[in-house]
Amino acid sequence: MPDYKAPLRDIKFVMTELLDSEQHYANLEGAEDATPDMVDAIIGEGAKFCEQVLSPLNRVGDKEGCTWSEDGVKTPTGFKEAYQQYVEGGWPSMTADPNYGGQGLPSSLGLVMSEMVGTANWSFGMYPGLSHGATNTIEEHGTEEQKQTYLTRLISGEWTGTMCLTEPHCGSDLGTLRTKAEPNADGTYAITGTKIFISAGEHDMAGNIVHIVLARLPGAPEGTKGISLFIVPKLLPNEDGSAGERNAVSCGSIEHKMGIHGNATCVMNFDGARGWLIGPENRGLNCMFTFMNVARIGTAIQGLGAAELGLQGSVTYAKDRLAMRSLSGPKNPEGIADPIIVHPDVRRMLLTQKAVAEGARALIYLTAQQADIVQRGKTGEERKAADEALGFLTPIAKAFLTEIGYEAANLGMQVYGGHGFISEWGMEQNVRDARIGMIYEGTTGIQALDLLGRKVLMTQGESLKGFTRQVHVFCKENADNEQLREFIEPLTALNKEWGDLTMKIGMTAMKNREEVGAASVDYLMYSGYAVFAYLWARMAKVAQDRMEEGTTEEMFYNAKIQTARFYFKRMLPRTRGHAESMLAGADSLMDMPEEAFAL
Amino acid sequence: MADYQAPLRDMRFVLNEVFDAPALWASLPKVAENVDPDTADAILEEAGKITSGVLAPLNREGDEQGCKWNDGEVSTPEGFREAYQTIVEGGWVGLGGNPEFGGMGMPKTLVAQFEEMMQAANMAFGLAPMLTAGACLALDAHGSQELKEKYLPNMYSGVWSGAMDLTEPHAGTDLGIIRTKAQPNDDGSFRVTGTKIFITWGEHDMAENIIHLVLAKLPDAPRGPKGISMFLVPKFEVNEDGSLGERNSLSCGSLEKKMGIKGSATCVMNFDGARGWLVGEENKGLAAMFTMMNYERLGVGVQGIGAAEASLQSAREYALERIQSRAPSGAQQPEKAADPILVHPDVRRMLLTMKGYVEGGRAFSTYVAKWLDISKYSEDQQRRKHAEGMVALLTPVAKAFLTDRGLDACIMGQQVFGGHGFIREWGQEQLVRDCRITQIYEGTNGIQALDLMGRKVVGTQGRLYELFAEDVATFIEENSGDETLRPFLEPLAAAFERLSDVTEHVISQAGDNPDAVGAASVDYLDLFGLTALGYMWAKMVKAAAPKAEGDTSGFYTGKMKTARFYFDRLLPKTVALAEGIRSGSGSMMALTAEEF
Ligand SMILES: Cc1cc2nc3c(=O)[nH]c(=O)nc-3n(C[C@H](O)[C@H](O)[C@H](O)COP(=O)(O)OP(=O)(O)OC[C@H]3O[C@@H](n4cnc5c(N)ncnc54)[C@H](O)[C@@H]3O)c2cc1C
Ligand SMILES: Cc1cc2nc3c(=O)[nH]c(=O)nc-3n(C[C@H](O)[C@H](O)[C@H](O)COP(=O)(O)OP(=O)(O)OC[C@H]3O[C@@H](n4cnc5c(N)ncnc54)[C@H](O)[C@@H]3O)c2cc1C
Repeated sequence: MPDYKAPLRDIKFVMTELLDSEQHYANLEGAEDATPDMVDAIIGEGAKFCEQVLSPLNRVGDKEGCTWSEDGVKTPTGFKEAYQQYVEGGWPSMTADPNYGGQGLPSSLGLVMSEMVGTANWSFGMYPGLSHGATNTIEEHGTEEQKQTYLTRLISGEWTGTMCLTEPHCGSDLGTLRTKAEPNADGTYAITGTKIFISAGEHDMAGNIVHIVLARLPGAPEGTKGISLFIVPKLLPNEDGSAGERNAVSCGSIEHKMGIHGNATCVMNFDGARGWLIGPENRGLNCMFTFMNVARIGTAIQGLGAAELGLQGSVTYAKDRLAMRSLSGPKNPEGIADPIIVHPDVRRMLLTQKAVAEGARALIYLTAQQADIVQRGKTGEERKAADEALGFLTPIAKAFLTEIGYEAANLGMQVYGGHGFISEWGMEQNVRDARIGMIYEGTTGIQALDLLGRKVLMTQGESLKGFTRQVHVFCKENADNEQLREFIEPLTALNKEWGDLTMKIGMTAMKNREEVGAASVDYLMYSGYAVFAYLWARMAKVAQDRMEEGTTEEMFYNAKIQTARFYFKRMLPRTRGHAESMLAGADSLMDMPEEAFAL
Repeated sequence: MADYQAPLRDMRFVLNEVFDAPALWASLPKVAENVDPDTADAILEEAGKITSGVLAPLNREGDEQGCKWNDGEVSTPEGFREAYQTIVEGGWVGLGGNPEFGGMGMPKTLVAQFEEMMQAANMAFGLAPMLTAGACLALDAHGSQELKEKYLPNMYSGVWSGAMDLTEPHAGTDLGIIRTKAQPNDDGSFRVTGTKIFITWGEHDMAENIIHLVLAKLPDAPRGPKGISMFLVPKFEVNEDGSLGERNSLSCGSLEKKMGIKGSATCVMNFDGARGWLVGEENKGLAAMFTMMNYERLGVGVQGIGAAEASLQSAREYALERIQSRAPSGAQQPEKAADPILVHPDVRRMLLTMKGYVEGGRAFSTYVAKWLDISKYSEDQQRRKHAEGMVALLTPVAKAFLTDRGLDACIMGQQVFGGHGFIREWGQEQLVRDCRITQIYEGTNGIQALDLMGRKVVGTQGRLYELFAEDVATFIEENSGDETLRPFLEPLAAAFERLSDVTEHVISQAGDNPDAVGAASVDYLDLFGLTALGYMWAKMVKAAAPKAEGDTSGFYTGKMKTARFYFDRLLPKTVALAEGIRSGSGSMMALTAEEF
């Protein structure tokens, strides 16, 4: 496994140079602490922790995995100690509510830390990552008492949390879930049912585990409108809040899976476990939606992390490994062969990873800033606009980045030739780990339906226009910039086409509802490439401005422009295929009779 | 996980209805001696039984157990030894072998179907017979009569297995720099010394002897690829009477832990002055390897199809059983809590994409096998030469395109399972892990693309491409009056023109810019493959259309619909690829190594 080095230079580039985080934080309510020095210090500390503590455990976690016994789940060697250090460093409390022990820093800064944690060791990162979901739920919907008991301990990291949604028969379609919650006399509920695939559902790293469980009350309406949220702790809190008696919830087994072996994926059995209602009855799914976007950005980071880690490993390898001569004559005449980085095709693989990793960073940070504004924007108007932008960008970030991040991870592995397939190099682990990103937190297919069906068509295209307007402004501002022409011209055309395609699909969808599902994944991928084009053009502009001002980092900015160029020339053309395919209509998908699939 | 069922119906369609294999076989006297339609059919039937009944059930457990190394000995997963015996008893290893030494002499068009079944059922296991067959091919083509008599019969029967020892720690793609040495002994044999890595089935407990074909350098051999010779190095030396003699001084130093094909042993092989015999001429070892390479590379492409077929079988079964959400157009099964996911357009997109590539890929591999058969067995020299050209051109496409799309298909087959796709017991993630190696070995897909574009297309100034172009153009022309075919021929002609234009473009570019080939090669191969599969789908439409009317089986109408999907949704990717290629190499070569 390559040793992870936090890409601090690029993080800074995206935060401050591309997205002007200084101004952004100054505009937020209650983000006074996020001064440039503070931000630098936090990221620097976080980077050290990720490089020195988490990265070395990544291979270990994969090799050992978690082990289940009657007494619970044991995490891989070193995970427990690392978690302890993570808690001592105050990392769980970074973005949480100061009234309950949090540091109140903006979400976007937390996501930078998530990026570093997740790239260094995704399996580890999921433990605190899921606590986040539980923290958010209780922060937004819990009673004061629930906050005092649970929130404080989740924020300190003393306890961890989970999200228990999925059941054996339902994942995408939560409307059909069966777990029951029956009222007890004391105002609590008896929760009964089986949840599967619960990440971090059981482990040995924290004093208690707080499950947020989706269940149905007696007589609740069918479907998604009859689901409520419950807090179900593994150990019942005593009067003083400390962990007490064992609740009737247990981990029945853990899954053996393709990747993220270091994270326990649990079958959780609730046998009349004591739970507390959180939020209004039957509004459980709505409650979850309030922070779904941030959770999904958290998953989108997996795509970024996979690309970044693969890139770091494969660049190093490509400079070391000797094979064949450059087509334009030997570059390393004293060696037995040239380093493979001289070969165009190896460069194609490296540049694709670079374009994905750096583009992904830009997209995630951009989206995270919208989340900041939704949470702490000063005016209602700002918040509303950001909410719309966030809703639009989130499914793109989640699905597009996990898809192309997976592609990038595969390229990172391919650069290693046969060694890529061998475990000790770690590249195949990166691929196996990355694969889950396209599945959980809503599959790519479900994200695509969300984007095209709910976000774009249901707003009559408004949410798309909100974004394309920005692109339009940027293109206009730079229309006369000769050096940027190679980016601005295609971006302008693309931006227009994006709207036209949306119109066309909207029209056909009015006639046939299958059309949305038939076009959705192509539409999402197209949108992802379009958003990337905008971001790469903006990055090229920043780099160009810096070079014109004069800089000592010529190489860095030059690489940005070159990568932007590669993106526009070699990756953006993929939109052609998606455009044509999404307009091909639903018939060729729907005509096939069920039986014929098996012939 | 669905129980694997060999897709015999589709294989028969491809063989008999699309390519009229019986006529092909009849036209090749050496083939006709051994096979007629009935024999072929019986072989398919039996192959289906054995692969689904014996090999497939061992696949999941083989992945869990892997091979175990103990002091140089390698033990295989439970059941592998017995299964190997069954394969040996059935004579499957020598199915395509030379009858003079005990092979069955079956044409590749037929053998490829058996290979697909075997690889789909159990790729880790399938590599053993596959490598043995490959070693036999090289030995048969280049070995002395004496070596052939001594080794081939037991290898064709499978009593002994074969291994190919090329790769070394520092050299895989670049075999010109290998270091393994061979020094002459007085008796005409050689002492082979060196370390080979990644040797598939280099050591195991399934066969009585293991015959290694090793690449090594003779003393004073020229540097680079022209100084490499091939040696036969048996694990046990073979006595005059054919019985096993002394243990030779080679041994397996360790096994690799790897992503997939875990049931197969990937060995570090140490040769410490092991006794070996020269195969073919001195310093012509690489060239000798290449004669079998076309067969092996097609075989790897077929592995991609096989894994994808297995994934497709499970995915469509799952899509019919798993109920989740309602169809967009309203409930299809109102009595149930939700509809089967097959009603969702996006699930259909995934399944149809898989079908488009698997069935198109099966036709394409059979098409390439047809040229291999002609090039090997035709008695008409011109016909043979023409076929050789086709083989040279199409082999890298078969290897790389079919494995790339095979992997894509396996990933989709996993996606159809949602979260369950990530869980080992369901088997879909194993197919992804297994299939992943096919993009790497037998020459990475990047190297295949260079071979296609650099050597085969640019290197011949388009001469080989013309052969293929003629074939497609003739088909389009011959069928231009056919109304049912028209909606398929038009997009095919357009895609094909795009490919021809791009081909011309790259040939013209390559002259002044040495990097032009490497910059465009992978996209070019993709473009070629997509277009070639379009051609296959058009051929399948031609065969299916007359029978689609009044078809009650649904087979032919299903073919027509999958073809429609292929042309509507998959072929358009050619537009994107062509654009990327035309943008040239500049954006790729500009960055310095540090700037990465
Ligand atoms: C390692 C791992 C960790 C996980 N962690 C958690 C966790 O912590 N908590 C938790 O609650 N869950 C967790 N999950 C579950 C995960 O979120 C679900 O697996 C996921 O939401 C998909 O649901 P499913 O598996 O039921 O697939 P299904 O819903 O059965 O989907 C199967 C296929 O059908 C498609 N599909 C379904 N409905 C539609 C539709 N309407 N239109 C188009 N296509 C459709 C899907 O895209 C998919 O391809 C985890 C899963 C795994 C594997
Ligand atoms: C499971 C497994 C089984 C195997 N079985 C066998 C076996 O039985 N016998 C055997 O001999 N070998 C075997 N191999 C080895 C395999 O064939 C090699 O790994 C493969 O040929 C690649 O060589 P390499 O690993 O040295 O990669 P390298 O040659 O180091 O290549 C690294 C990367 O550089 C690229 N590259 C290299 N040169 C160029 C160039 N000139 N232009 C553009 N790109 C270039 C490659 O495409 C690749 O992406 C096996 C490997 C594995 C993993």
